[in-house]
Amino acid sequence: MSERIEILISGYGGQGVVRIGQILGQAAVYQGLYTTMLISHGTETRGGYVRSQVVISDEFIDSPVVERPDYFCAFSAIAYQMFKGLCGPQGLILHNPDLVSPDPLLEAGHWAIRAESLAERELGNAVFANVVFLGALSSRLALLSAEHIAAAIRERLPERFHEKNLRAFALGQGLKVQVQP
Amino acid sequence: MSDLLEKYVRPEKNPGTACKGCGLRLAHRRVLEAIDELGLGQGDVVWGTGIGCSGRQTFVTWKGDTFAGTHGRVYAMATGLRLALPPEKRLILTVGDGDAFTIGFLHLLNAARRNVDMTVVVFDNLGYQSTGGQYGVTTPLGSRTDSSPYGAWEPNWTQGGFDVLRILKEAGATFLARHTVLQGHEPVESLKRAIRNPGFSLVQLIYPCVTHYGVQALGTRDPAAIYDWFRERTAGLIEGDPGDRFTTGILHDASGSRVEFSAAMRDFVASVQKGERHV
Amino acid sequence: MKRTFDTGNAAITEGAIRAGCSLFAGYPITPATEIAENMSRRLPQVGGYYLQAEDENAALHICNGGAIGGLKAMTATSGPGFILFADAFGWAVSSEVPVVIVNSQRVGPVSGITGAPGQGEFYLSRYLTHGGNFETIVLAPSSVQEAFRLTVRAFYLAERFRTPVIVLADQMVTDGWETLELPESEAEFTAMGLEVVPRRIHPGPEFYPASDAIDIPPVVLGHNTGAACSDWTPTDRGHDTEDVTWQHKHAWRLIHKIRNHRELIDEAEEWFLDDDPDVILVAYGTPSRVVQSAVRAARREGLRVGGIRLISLWPFQDRMFSRTATYLTVELNWDGQLVREVQRAAAAGSSVHFWGRCGELPSSGELLETVQKLLKNEPLERDGWRTEKW
Repeated sequence: MSERIEILISGYGGQGVVRIGQILGQAAVYQGLYTTMLISHGTETRGGYVRSQVVISDEFIDSPVVERPDYFCAFSAIAYQMFKGLCGPQGLILHNPDLVSPDPLLEAGHWAIRAESLAERELGNAVFANVVFLGALSSRLALLSAEHIAAAIRERLPERFHEKNLRAFALGQGLKVQVQP
Repeated sequence: MSDLLEKYVRPEKNPGTACKGCGLRLAHRRVLEAIDELGLGQGDVVWGTGIGCSGRQTFVTWKGDTFAGTHGRVYAMATGLRLALPPEKRLILTVGDGDAFTIGFLHLLNAARRNVDMTVVVFDNLGYQSTGGQYGVTTPLGSRTDSSPYGAWEPNWTQGGFDVLRILKEAGATFLARHTVLQGHEPVESLKRAIRNPGFSLVQLIYPCVTHYGVQALGTRDPAAIYDWFRERTAGLIEGDPGDRFTTGILHDASGSRVEFSAAMRDFVASVQKGERHV
Repeated sequence: MKRTFDTGNAAITEGAIRAGCSLFAGYPITPATEIAENMSRRLPQVGGYYLQAEDENAALHICNGGAIGGLKAMTATSGPGFILFADAFGWAVSSEVPVVIVNSQRVGPVSGITGAPGQGEFYLSRYLTHGGNFETIVLAPSSVQEAFRLTVRAFYLAERFRTPVIVLADQMVTDGWETLELPESEAEFTAMGLEVVPRRIHPGPEFYPASDAIDIPPVVLGHNTGAACSDWTPTDRGHDTEDVTWQHKHAWRLIHKIRNHRELIDEAEEWFLDDDPDVILVAYGTPSRVVQSAVRAARREGLRVGGIRLISLWPFQDRMFSRTATYLTVELNWDGQLVREVQRAAAAGSSVHFWGRCGELPSSGELLETVQKLLKNEPLERDGWRTEKW
């Protein structure tokens, strides 16, 4: 039986929504898996969000649409409101509690990660928050090895930022999962 | 003269499509004279044409290679073709005033901006004659045509302080001249310089239309009377507003002063391939 | 084989380069701009020419000009630019010029929504110029990998048929990222079923034979062959004529050189058509992948559902609709385009339905629900503007 993982990443432009998807996809390719990523270029007129729909599978992917996300990285309140309804009981929503208030009615699990303040404190810049999220996500993705994700970070990000991004990745990986039902 | 036609023109396309008494045949011949005097053969020239009287008269008359674009687009086509042709091939386009100065003007300006090596010969019959005689941007103000029955009043590009060739000069053209076909050898000399210029050249050749412009605007179909009217209006280079006269002569000769587009393209590509340029 | 993670835009660029494209002229437009950007980087590396035209009409005319000089040329755009090709496309069709056109369809009409997928140019791609009297080759990729393959194929067909070939993609294919395998050797290229036809030069004098023959070298200027090509109706030598007999010969050639060799063009994928499907879903481009998911899901539920993915769109593949069945087209438009053609082609006794949306892909769940309604003979009408009966 094939394995298909659906990941939804959404937030504002500039939060690295597409970049995280690119790193995941690149890592999946390194791993010899199939992967797709659809990007919706959000503009203000379309609700002010950017969305990456990433699917990873060990066989050719037919529909690239994320219909029932296994993981949803919600980087903004607007994105959360927009797509939380897609998440079923098997879904896990990674969010920053400073920006997103979880909906108690949802069946999906929530994992609160204060990525911005963590990145600010540990790396001196909140801009690395997305890679902290990526690290946290990767700790749950048995399908992808951390080595391949690290290699993808080196491939997809400018060399002068490698060191800090790899540290941000490790920070995220080291976080303990605290799932609120 | 018939030797010239035999040398360069496909026999099945001789005598051409122009009306009896039309100045277009003379205009066509001026271009052949220039080619001949430059010592060029049929393999040295690729000839393109536009639409209208000029297109019909000149298309596939040239014994060598020839093409016709849709209305106004032949300058864009010539830009692509120039990249494919060896630099020594001369690219001559015979087009009408509507083709060059209205519907195709955007492409003409961009060909001038890039300084693409081509010689545009505008056979200017002072309006849209192949469609029965409507005014255009070179039609003298006040002219009665089928679409200006009260006299042409829209601003044109040859009077009132405007000169379409000045626009082309500002756009980057490296050779610009205007003549009437009745000026003997003068237009041939300009055409030769235009063809020799390794860059964007344009020669506007004004010629009398006896069928429409003559009848509608000048009230006569007598070629002699129409030719006289042309001669009376023809002047040399005029500083300032020429009024209702045709300013003729070489308006701008900067031959060889700018890098030609296809040469620049080849140099650029070579430099990338040699690793001299990086992203 | 080089495995990468890249966009359809990158795949199209690489396909063109490997097919021998040496001229790209275009005008920036979302979501096809990235093809132009990639070409501006890649073409000079392989000795090719990239230039930005003053508009899309000029872009295709520049390509045509390069093509009649012997270059393999391509342009890429989206709807608002595609419509401006009308003039140059007609010239290429009539003068039999091999050139490749990519359209990444977005939401229309006019500027519509720039970065969201649509499928509104199904018919426009067939009739991209006026006057009729011609047939068009249109290929529709549904994945990044296929965007690569069909771009190579478009160049191949353009040379063999001496005609412009359109790659009708959508925003999801061009902007979407996916696993992309690129051949690294001639052997790998061939193993992928890809072929390149080098540009040949017609020696003349019969540049436009009154026949349906293909594999005739294109008209190439600059070799003193007496080559002639134009927007006029040509005689066999390319001379302009107003003779209706010659016009008929020319039209016949433009139509039947393609129709009579359509086996070289026709391409489709089918799912469970041999297993007596009651309902057959039909799509092209990205929606066809959701259709594939929906068909699989339906089969898992024991429903007799099949699917058709059209890879070549034009000439239209009537042969795919020879079964009497209930057909449902799935399209990224609200007005229903593919459905009209399926309705025409479907075997007698079939019923043909339409599921449309613009700007977003359907979900397989939605399609499955629709299929269940069809199986129960329930009407598909929904209320108000949300969904209308086609």
